Amino acid sequence: MLIETTEGAQAEPRPARKPRVMAARRSGMPPLREYMSEVVDRRQFIWHMARTNLKGKHFDSVLGQLWLILDPILLAAVYYMLRSVVRPMGSDPAARTALITHLIWAVSFFYFTRGVALGGAKSVLGNKRLVLNASFPRLILPLTALVTAVIEFIPTLGIYLLFHAFMGQPITMNLVFLLPILILQVTFNFGFGLLLAPAMVNYRDINGFITYFLRVWLYASPVLYTVAEIPAGLETYLRWNPLYPLYASLEQVFGGSPPSVDYLLAALAWAVTSLVIGMIVFMRKEGGLAIRL
Amino acid sequence: MPSVSDPAVKVENLEVSFRTTADRPSIRGLGSSLPGRRGKVNGTVVEALRGISFDVQRGSVYGVIGRNGAGKSTMFRAVAGILSPTGGQVTTSGRVTPLLTVGLGFNRELSGYENILLGGLALGLKTDEVKNHHEEIVQFSELGPAIMHPMRTYSSGMFSRLAFSVATHLDPEIVLIDEALSAGDAAFKKKSQSKILDMCSSDTTVMIVSHGLEVVKNLADRALWLDKGLVKMEGTTEDVIGNYLEHLAVEANATSMEDM
Repeated sequence: MLIETTEGAQAEPRPARKPRVMAARRSGMPPLREYMSEVVDRRQFIWHMARTNLKGKHFDSVLGQLWLILDPILLAAVYYMLRSVVRPMGSDPAARTALITHLIWAVSFFYFTRGVALGGAKSVLGNKRLVLNASFPRLILPLTALVTAVIEFIPTLGIYLLFHAFMGQPITMNLVFLLPILILQVTFNFGFGLLLAPAMVNYRDINGFITYFLRVWLYASPVLYTVAEIPAGLETYLRWNPLYPLYASLEQVFGGSPPSVDYLLAALAWAVTSLVIGMIVFMRKEGGLAIRL
Repeated sequence: MPSVSDPAVKVENLEVSFRTTADRPSIRGLGSSLPGRRGKVNGTVVEALRGISFDVQRGSVYGVIGRNGAGKSTMFRAVAGILSPTGGQVTTSGRVTPLLTVGLGFNRELSGYENILLGGLALGLKTDEVKNHHEEIVQFSELGPAIMHPMRTYSSGMFSRLAFSVATHLDPEIVLIDEALSAGDAAFKKKSQSKILDMCSSDTTVMIVSHGLEVVKNLADRALWLDKGLVKMEGTTEDVIGNYLEHLAVEANATSMEDM
């Protein structure tokens, strides 16, 4: 042997580990309980990756973190102009104020949850090196995208609520319903992202279509208009949009009333369906992802 | 419960195959992937590994040799858990640290210093465990002040030096090294070979893929020769390399005969 060891060798016996068995599975699904406990075990990794993502994101910009607030305001301004052209509002200042506040919260909610879906969908493709070089439950990647989006959204929500009060909009106890509705909305979009993530690896074309699809989805949801403005004939169809019950109930909450139970149940059904389908598709496909990358 | 005599890695009849739809996915491929149309797929099935079995003893260095496309890297990815087997199984006793050609999942915008934590967490460690070894890793990588620069400014040699340092300093139990020993200059190469021997004396198991037979010869106790997804030979490093070289010589002769 030509090589000498540089350090004193210490042969300390390690505690025996439970052997890990990797085998082909007929269902194509890893065992759920083990899988989830491994995800929980890796929470520091998720947290650290989310933080480094955010750090890298606005690193080169002059305004930095200020973009978190600027983005939704500029978006709302653009859509306000668009709205004024498409559907002039008349001269009632109260209606105008109501529309502006509606646009700001609805647009920022939409873009936040759009980020959850899009971030999840792109998470595998965007972390190619990591997927090819380390073994971990791949669910960690969309989860990281989710955590990143949530951290980004918190200051936006805080600023909006101040603005909401400043504009004289109702501040009631019903605002606590924001939390469950947000959770339902995030769950729905997260599931949608999970469904898209493996498809995006196999068919890169989806990347091209997705932004157009999300834009149409924006127009088909009560984001740029209120539920009351929807023509009766159209409402029957729009009700089938999974985002409809979410935005309809948000509108009630921001308007000062409690959300209807019907809306909440519909949103819950959509969220659960989306999450279950997304998880099954994602977990079945994840073992083969490394080949396609 | 695993005992000391249990192998660190046990590969039984491992198969990995995948379908390629004539180089790239197409609209037709899309149709064939719909449920109910399975089996009618008109793509080629690539059988990267066609049922291979071997054991790697704890604390040993195991060399893997073979020509390009023999399935060496695919086998490593299956042992690391990066790819799921399509048949057979892989049993590993201990945390597997893959150190493959492409390097760890570093974030190129961040400095090497910050990436040590990210790399360690990616390998399945806890923040504290990584922090305990942080300085050691910085020292071993010999990157000097460059450790504070963003990794996008690194050369490929610097990149793999850091990857090697992270992977080998975080109390690895089973290390898979795929050509990573060719990283860095001659001095670093020598240093990394010593590091591998050090690790083995503290019961770390090492598997090495290398085209440089010298590396395998110097380090490995046993070796595996893969050929077109099958085990051609398994045994002591000397025997396997001897036979492999003989085989290469015969093949070289055959082609030169054809040329005449």
